[in-house]
Amino acid sequence: MTMDEEGGNGLRTNLSRAATSLALLAATAALTACGSSSSPSGSGSGSAGGSTGGTHGKVTLSFVNWDGGMQSAVDQWNKENPDIQVQLSKPSGTGYTLYNKLITNNAAGTNPDVTEVEYQALPALIANKVVVPIDQYIGDISAGFDKSSLAQVQFEGKTYGVPQNVCPMVFFYRKDIFDSLGLKPPTTWDEYAADAATVHAKNPKQYIGNFSAVDSGWFAGLAQQAGANWWTTSGTTWNVAIDDAATQKVANYWSGLIDKGLVSPEPNWSPQWNTDMNNGTIIGWVSAQWAPNQFPSIAKDTSGKWVAAQLPAWTAGDPTVGIWGGETEAVTSNSKHPAEAAKFVKWLNGSAEGVKTLIQQVDVFPASLADQSQDALKTPPPFMSDQADYNTLIASAAKNARTFQVWGPNANVTFDAYSNDFAAALQNKTPLTAALTQMQQATVDDLKKRGFSVTG
Amino acid sequence: MKARRRRLTLLPQVLLLPAVVLFLLFTVAPGGYAIYLSFMKQKAGGGLFGTDNPTTVFAGLENYRAAFGDAEFWHSIGRMLLVAVIGVPATIGFSTLFALCLDAKRARLVGFSRLAIFLPYAVPGVVATLLWGFMYLPATSPIGGNVVNYFGSHTVFFAVANVAVWGVLGFNMVVIYTSLRGLPRELFQAAELDGASELQIALRIKLPLLAPTLTLVTVFSLIGALQLFNEPTTLKPVTNAISSTWVPLMRVYTDAFVDNDIYRGAAASFLLIVLTVTATVAANMMLRLLARRSER
Repeated sequence: MTMDEEGGNGLRTNLSRAATSLALLAATAALTACGSSSSPSGSGSGSAGGSTGGTHGKVTLSFVNWDGGMQSAVDQWNKENPDIQVQLSKPSGTGYTLYNKLITNNAAGTNPDVTEVEYQALPALIANKVVVPIDQYIGDISAGFDKSSLAQVQFEGKTYGVPQNVCPMVFFYRKDIFDSLGLKPPTTWDEYAADAATVHAKNPKQYIGNFSAVDSGWFAGLAQQAGANWWTTSGTTWNVAIDDAATQKVANYWSGLIDKGLVSPEPNWSPQWNTDMNNGTIIGWVSAQWAPNQFPSIAKDTSGKWVAAQLPAWTAGDPTVGIWGGETEAVTSNSKHPAEAAKFVKWLNGSAEGVKTLIQQVDVFPASLADQSQDALKTPPPFMSDQADYNTLIASAAKNARTFQVWGPNANVTFDAYSNDFAAALQNKTPLTAALTQMQQATVDDLKKRGFSVTG
Repeated sequence: MKARRRRLTLLPQVLLLPAVVLFLLFTVAPGGYAIYLSFMKQKAGGGLFGTDNPTTVFAGLENYRAAFGDAEFWHSIGRMLLVAVIGVPATIGFSTLFALCLDAKRARLVGFSRLAIFLPYAVPGVVATLLWGFMYLPATSPIGGNVVNYFGSHTVFFAVANVAVWGVLGFNMVVIYTSLRGLPRELFQAAELDGASELQIALRIKLPLLAPTLTLVTVFSLIGALQLFNEPTTLKPVTNAISSTWVPLMRVYTDAFVDNDIYRGAAASFLLIVLTVTATVAANMMLRLLARRSER
């Protein structure tokens, strides 16, 4: 809050000011995270107004999703399903801002019927009873998806969503600048480190990349590639191993680059980073499949200059990569029409027609196996128009994507600890491995506090 | 006669009713609920995700012990005080200076200047912080962000305080200026006749007469500082220097809405309210003491 205010009794206005602060925070998130419309997402399951119990009444479903281009898919559905109309709204904040809102609003019963959920957040939403299993409505989907995609949405024999996409990590680089420096995209992390030194030596203001303390999913993806398994379960006991040897290896590697000043410690998505990505100060980005969808808002003047390559490997020739992101649509426990909502979810992410729209309008690489060979994938995303085989690269990376066995029911706590502890390590120039220990501690403590059975 | 008197005695209650109802509904009730929550906790049920019959159980003082025993909670209070130590004197100092300048006899363009100084107060805190965020970051900074690191481990306190001061300076200036205009002019004329310079009048006559106003403004600024939230929260995504528990209110927000532990968040906010009440009472006592002294 501000330092003053109009007087009156400070105590009396305390609570209302706290409330104002929270409202403003939501506004902040909207401005910083996506700049999307401020229309409230939790405007109630719009369904209530439509049918009053009749089986053939018209049903209106509310759907929250922040992906650009999603409206096209919704329009398509609405045209073909006059009795189940879907109303799309963008959330006031993306990612955890949305999930935390869903968890809070769940008690009030005002959540939308269908929501976007990134894979890493689904267990937390299940643990808080925000979303419901939809097996009875969609039947068995296991034939249409590979095991690792199914593992993201199926738990204890129940299915909580239809996987939309696979987001394997890949390396983007400025081909024009790499060429002028006589560099080729690195195939191993050793080569990446060597290239980082070359780039920085030729021009001390230039970096091959940055280490972002705001993207815990990014670091988790790098750990997955190295063989980490942050959460595993045996029976109903959780084992947490965030500071395992594989993750420490990754942390040590980046600590080395940071200490030598070879990568920038600036966080992604800030005005600073956008500028650096746009003007050639940062010439590489360890990212994932969806990057071309984001590039126009990050580095609008560089269309056609970026090329994607396979993610550098720990051992030459090892094709294993981690994932960063990926989402499913889930049906909320607040929904009064779970059957209709599940039908829409299955159409969107599991039908040739729905997926085709997603590929063309949302730049998705589908999780649905049958649709991974759709003709629509032969055209690269607009930002990568010069790289015709973009989706071929993604397809091969997707085959070799490795993820954790499961995301913890409190991944939100882990991710918040990441952003605090890694940022502090970068700020104070302390080892990243110490931050890992703090992340591990915070995650285990929280699980214990909540009464879960935990080891690790 | 009798009837009229009864109507008269009922009137204040009737007039008070809306305020009392609103106060009970939106301050007392949620406050009471928060206190109730602060003594509870969620206990996971059976199954992998704890979804089989999760319960909310009485936690005793556990949430308070957790907040009290957490070093980070006290660090967040320390950081808030540090921003206050920089921000409050700067706010009072500059707003007094500007008010005295505007009140000076030779001042020109008073209306315009007053509006210009006041204007930042009309900019919402979040917008102001976004604006300053751009100014601080090296790549977009027009004020030397590539030379000075505005987000260094020490400079960040000044960076945050600066945004807050910029926002509230104008408001405090108007309060002080209004109070200045209310002072008896003949005192200044007498001083002028006695040969006092404009500076001497400002320092020796106006400033002492402003003492009660300045004390009041200081108390309000201190209370405002306790509620620091918008500025660091908005700056967090652009810098490694600010954590999600940087100041107490951010800590409360993170507990309740990021870590999904509304119970611990309630305990931390109640602790914070107790601290705020204590600080306000102390400040009020100081204020009264000063007022009594100036009466003498």
